Amino acid sequence: MQASLETFRIRKEFPGTVALEDVSLRFEGGRVVALLGKNGAGKSTLVKILAGTLQPTSGQIAINGRPVKLKSAGDAFRHGIATVYQELSVIPELSAAENILLGRMPGKRGWARVMLDWPAARRRAREILAEMGVDLDVHQKVRRFGVAQQQIIEIAKAMSFNPSVLMLDEPTSALARHETEMLFRVVRRLARSGVAVIYITHRLHELAQIADAVTVLRDGHHVGTANFAETSADSIVRMIFGSVVQRQRPQALQPSPEPLLQVRGLCRAEKFHDIDFTVHRGEILGIAGMLGSGRTELLRAIFGADPFDGGRIILGGRILKGTSVRGMKRLGAALIPENRKEQSLVPNLSVRANLCLASLDAIGWNGLISVRRENLVARHFVQRLDIQLANLRLPVHSLSGGNQQKVAVGKWLNTQPRVMLFDEPTRGIDLQAKQQIFQIMWDLSRDGIGSVFVSSELEELLEVCHRILIMRSGAIIGEVRPEDISVEDLVVRCMGESAGARSEP
Amino acid sequence: MTRRLREFILEGVLIALCLVLAWRAPGFLSADNLLNVLHNVSMQGVIAFGMTMVIIAGEIDLSVGSMIAFAGCLTAWITGRLSAAPHGWPMPRAILLAILASLLAGVAIGSISGMLRVRFRVPTFISTLAWLTVLRGAAGLITNGFPLTPFPDWYNFIGAGHVWKVPFPAILFLAVFLLIQFIMNYTTFGRSIYAVGGNAEAARLSGIHVPRVKIGVMAIVSALAVIAGVMQSSQNMSGSDRSGMGWELDVIAAVIIGGTNLMGGSGRVWGTLIGVIFLGVLVNGMTLLNISEYWQMVVRGVLILMAVLMNVSPPERA
Repeated sequence: MQASLETFRIRKEFPGTVALEDVSLRFEGGRVVALLGKNGAGKSTLVKILAGTLQPTSGQIAINGRPVKLKSAGDAFRHGIATVYQELSVIPELSAAENILLGRMPGKRGWARVMLDWPAARRRAREILAEMGVDLDVHQKVRRFGVAQQQIIEIAKAMSFNPSVLMLDEPTSALARHETEMLFRVVRRLARSGVAVIYITHRLHELAQIADAVTVLRDGHHVGTANFAETSADSIVRMIFGSVVQRQRPQALQPSPEPLLQVRGLCRAEKFHDIDFTVHRGEILGIAGMLGSGRTELLRAIFGADPFDGGRIILGGRILKGTSVRGMKRLGAALIPENRKEQSLVPNLSVRANLCLASLDAIGWNGLISVRRENLVARHFVQRLDIQLANLRLPVHSLSGGNQQKVAVGKWLNTQPRVMLFDEPTRGIDLQAKQQIFQIMWDLSRDGIGSVFVSSELEELLEVCHRILIMRSGAIIGEVRPEDISVEDLVVRCMGESAGARSEP
Repeated sequence: MTRRLREFILEGVLIALCLVLAWRAPGFLSADNLLNVLHNVSMQGVIAFGMTMVIIAGEIDLSVGSMIAFAGCLTAWITGRLSAAPHGWPMPRAILLAILASLLAGVAIGSISGMLRVRFRVPTFISTLAWLTVLRGAAGLITNGFPLTPFPDWYNFIGAGHVWKVPFPAILFLAVFLLIQFIMNYTTFGRSIYAVGGNAEAARLSGIHVPRVKIGVMAIVSALAVIAGVMQSSQNMSGSDRSGMGWELDVIAAVIIGGTNLMGGSGRVWGTLIGVIFLGVLVNGMTLLNISEYWQMVVRGVLILMAVLMNVSPPERA
């Protein structure tokens, strides 16, 4: 029998927002459906609802035509819905067999049933793997396997429950190319055996190899579902991004020809290679690239957060063959890292202390902090960046995402920066805060400060930047001006040519 | 419970405890007794302020108890050697040099723990656990198991003297409190300690010299342990390899009761002051009330648990 999973008019409200609205979908056994959408489109909310960890505000779910209530993860499992998340949850010190049968290891017969029946366990684990067409040494501890094999063990664990629906949440984000192919073979085989596979991904170029159909969510709505064979890369991209309204940066804002930051032949093994570019005075330079293209690693290496293997960086009249955070800060570089909670802010410290964190020397005098100057500086930036808060002494984690991000940017403005490196500065913040971050970049540009702006939201780059570099697989493969290119073309160039062509596995 | 109430709950409990003791315990409220409490807590208290810095920075130092014995013995031994006849130095000069040498040794040992932490990622829990036995052993080697007693009478002032009626160790205790309070609140070093303990990666990416901070706090707590060791040797008029047994846990307990988060990143020097005094008052009061020492231990343990529970915020909901 072919399994099916249907949703009827699912709606999910969170305080202040509607994450899903009127979402009716149907997934059938034997097919791999790619679930697509931008960040915040509602994909993960839908996954959580189907996995039983979130309850919809209204709407129904039916499995094989029968309505069900999924009140917990356990409910979802019992109804045959298994989920494999992006973060691996295998236990590295246990064997593959133990991981696959975690909590359900077979015991011996009769009075000895408290003892594990190892031969039976291994046999069972091997059977499950064999059904997936995989041959692994089930004795081996899981930490000895590569990430892809660990991912497969994770899937095997899910498959040991005989689910009729398997959800895979960005399973390839940590995988290399050949590992991805191995995973795809397993997934296709599972689909052929009658499982309905829901595959969530950001990597559009993978679709050709794996998806029978695509379903697109945008702003919480189901935009459309199409058989992959009957659609094109362009139309998928259009479904994902919608008709983009592009606001333009102020026309008067033009960079001057004076170079600020020059990067020459920068390499780091397995991350990026032969990177050349120049940021000019007052210029906002975009770097467009998908997750895993090496863009974050590049920014971190320039700033000295990670080392690089070869090449040079020229900043402030100095030619550098290696960088350190403290050295780069002195030369006028600043990094706003992609993950503000883990890499930029000290959550328990006050907003005031966080705003002064990168400029402790400037608010101090011989190592002493002048509270008066600290308050002055903090108040100045709160006002300039329009940070909404009740009190400067509140811990920074009490602010909203957008305001936290403004603190993460603001803490560098007191260091007299020449070049600011922004890594995904708009992730997880609301529209108004986004516009304010852009405004900060434009203001900096007016003051002659250069910016490098990395974003996966490519329409933002078109809106904000003077010039955009296209990065793919660790290399810069092109340069465009925002006025010469559409979002669709930019996405296609970032993904590579493979997106349109269908290749049979 | 509101944040504000939470912040001052320990002060409230301390005042309540004092009121109860003033009412029930004979002699508790006399000036002599209260100064005596300060005297009793002063040596552990001096270390506790350094331990506060260490714990806020996200580290720990288990070797402070052994450091007390080591520093006391080392000071006594050097003093004895330098002042020995026939070509002995004058006593004041010998003692001064002995104390300086012990301080230097303490700073070096603390710095080594810090360097092992930043260079080789050896947790300070482990390195200072090693120092705990090494220093205790070293103290025994110095003394050969018999207390060293080279000190002149006036040396007793450091650990047992009085200025007017105030015990000199209590003055040292309050001076160290003011110093560390100042460092933590009004210097870039203090701010860096909070930042490194709260989020080391963010601190590093803000251009804060994380190794300097970690090594710095380990050196400071060791230096303060040496000072406490000198105070102890002065009070006993001898360097003994048995002194300071188990103090590391009392000191850590006082810091935790004072509201510092064992995970690092938050805590107040003022809280530690209250925590230290609180434990001192408790012991003093229970002794005055003739409560058995075993009960005292049980009560202290329960208090540590309660203090930690009060400081834990309810788990965040996803």
